[in-house]
Amino acid sequence: MTHPEGMEPIPVEADASVALPVGDGAFTLALPAFEGPLQLLLHLIESRQLDILTVPLADVADAYVEHLARHPVDAANLSEFVAIAAQLILLKSRRMLPAEPLPPVPDGVDEPDEDELRRRLVEYRALRDAATALGERDGAAPAIRREPREADLPEVPAEPLPAIVLAAALETLAAIPEPAPPPPEIVVREVTIGQQISVLREALSGGGRVLLQTILARCRSRTEAAVTFLATLELVRRRQVSAEQGELFGPITIEAVAEPGA
Amino acid sequence: MTDELEPYYEALLFIAERPLETAELAELAGVPRVQAEGALSSLAERLAEDGRGLRIQQHDGAWQLVTAPEVGARLATYAAREEARLSPAALEALAVVAYRQPCTRGDVERVRGVDSDYVIRSLLHRRLIVEVGRRDTPGRPVLFGTSFTFLERFGLTSIEDLPPLSSDAAQLTALAPAADGE
Repeated sequence: MTHPEGMEPIPVEADASVALPVGDGAFTLALPAFEGPLQLLLHLIESRQLDILTVPLADVADAYVEHLARHPVDAANLSEFVAIAAQLILLKSRRMLPAEPLPPVPDGVDEPDEDELRRRLVEYRALRDAATALGERDGAAPAIRREPREADLPEVPAEPLPAIVLAAALETLAAIPEPAPPPPEIVVREVTIGQQISVLREALSGGGRVLLQTILARCRSRTEAAVTFLATLELVRRRQVSAEQGELFGPITIEAVAEPGA
Repeated sequence: MTDELEPYYEALLFIAERPLETAELAELAGVPRVQAEGALSSLAERLAEDGRGLRIQQHDGAWQLVTAPEVGARLATYAAREEARLSPAALEALAVVAYRQPCTRGDVERVRGVDSDYVIRSLLHRRLIVEVGRRDTPGRPVLFGTSFTFLERFGLTSIEDLPPLSSDAAQLTALAPAADGE
């Protein structure tokens, strides 16, 4: 933090005991981080062994502003630090102009006053010391109460379930519709001419003569029938069978051709 | 009946799994409230005077039986209570609530001179302080007070048992009374 305009360190007063410079280049003071302005102010007073009830608070204004200028404080509480700084500077300026009568404070205006700040300091110190004392006895000698035992826990009713509840549950289960069947599997049924040639040969092996329509009637699909027909034509081309149809759309008779060497 | 009241209450508080209210205790014994209070106070005194291992804790119109702070430290090996230590800021806020209760977050902030929202919440979370009501001022701010957990942790029998604040504060408070209001 740099010195804001008009907050250059004011020349230190003659009373050297008051004006112990903070952070003098000769040595470095390891100061605790001050969370609040009252904590800092109190530290400045106590470190100089001044009487909190009588010390003019203006006397520590320089040290306070100096500290604030040199040690950045938590931004969350910066406004509180600055407010106290302003109050201290006001107190100091009043002391420097003792002859000037102060204008009357209009009613309802919250004019910071030294007694009020001192009262806050003393109250803060009392509670800070109380906090320290509390911290020392924290958990040192606790008063332990009886821990609740298992028996203290509220009882959970564990009676057997009535049959009607089970029956109702079963009905509810039954009412749940069965899941929709998965879509039918599409498997390409491969039928080859070779397969159908075998079928034809088998049919012809019995009596040597067969009606093509009877074989076609056993086919499970149009494709199979077509392939069977193609197989017949193939056998005819190979001159292994002969086919004969008396009339259009009439029955086709297939007859095995006797093997030349057989 | 009165003679039987003290041992009865001693036993009752021994088996109770929570602090019992004065009204409850009076009703259970079938005696007027004043009589119940008298018996409980006398029981509390007797336990303390005789240097027994147990004490009566009283807070907010309720009573519970706890171990005596004198033996608390030696019980630690058995009870093994590892409480996370409180930060200086939390202790400061707790001290303000303990000595100024019931008080608002604003009261704590005025005394400490810094924002205390976070520490108040952490104290609430640890159940060291509890909401005890609302102040009848604009905004109706929540009032906080200490709890039984606070008394237990710091080995106090009641908030009257807190060590007094330094005398300077009393002098100065008399000199310039605190401005009230939020």
